[in-house]
Amino acid sequence: MKTWKIVLLAVVVLGIIAALLVYFLVYNKPHPDYATMDPDMELPAEQLYRDFVNDEQRAHERYNGKVLQVQGQLAEVEQVDDMVILSFVFEEGMFGGEGVRCTMLESYKEEALSLAAGTHVTVKGFCTGFTGSDVILEHSSIP
Amino acid sequence: MLRKTLLVFVLGVLITPVLFAQVYLTRNGTIRFFSEASLENIEATNRQVSSALNIENGEFVFRLPMRSFAFEKALMQEHFNDNFVESHKYPNASFEGEIHGFREADLLSGEEIEVMVEGELTIKDVTKGITERGTLRMEDGDILGSAVFVIKPEEYNIRIPTRYVRNIASEIEVFVDVRLSDKL
Repeated sequence: MKTWKIVLLAVVVLGIIAALLVYFLVYNKPHPDYATMDPDMELPAEQLYRDFVNDEQRAHERYNGKVLQVQGQLAEVEQVDDMVILSFVFEEGMFGGEGVRCTMLESYKEEALSLAAGTHVTVKGFCTGFTGSDVILEHSSIP
Repeated sequence: MLRKTLLVFVLGVLITPVLFAQVYLTRNGTIRFFSEASLENIEATNRQVSSALNIENGEFVFRLPMRSFAFEKALMQEHFNDNFVESHKYPNASFEGEIHGFREADLLSGEEIEVMVEGELTIKDVTKGITERGTLRMEDGDILGSAVFVIKPEEYNIRIPTRYVRNIASEIEVFVDVRLSDKL
């Protein structure tokens, strides 16, 4: 095979490999595996809630978009459609008990449903913000 | 600031001469948007929508964390939060307003009724008036509310870089679905 043909073939193969890498590692990269991620911070659920209530803007800067591991006394295990939500409650408000609401990952729903209110639990989840009544943790797991 | 706005609204709802039970609520309403462009269609869903509706006077409020929008592609979700809506600077969106021609008695029939929804939508640092049709229906004591409206990202200070103009539509369809209950 002539040299120029070998070079051309190598360029084409490398181009295809590069395109596949971009497609799978960038354009179609998977969502983070929140259950195996190390938490950015660990804190009591009540502190997380109070920080948002006392200074929402500062709390967003500190917690929003971070993986948080919170501990506290479980107030309620709730099912909303196909979602399972663990709630830590610290105040009564317009929406009833208000605090930290953790939407569970699919693989942790069964374990979450087996928990009883009043149990001290640790939950890890991705903080997406504050609704005005609750701090939201999504993709939550029980470490 | 937005929390204060919500609290002022909620207090307004309660101070008016109505009973607490006349306010219907949800913490897990759904807002979904759909963008149809030449290169790809993009859809995202947010299931952390808090909403309150006063069925005495038709006043309502929605509030949602922007970072709760879930996309099929992780890369698009990152672009949405980091570059387009800047969730770190503007973490919430809200919609406050009134349902016109709304009467509590209309719901009791169980039929779906068509209503006009008028309010102010705030995304990022921009608030704009919106008037659209919606529907309400009573089911098992809950109120099911739906509305569809169209927004233009550029009107809310969402700048789409030139390289993405074939990926993201200039008009985005927004679908609202809530099941409001008088007991949470």
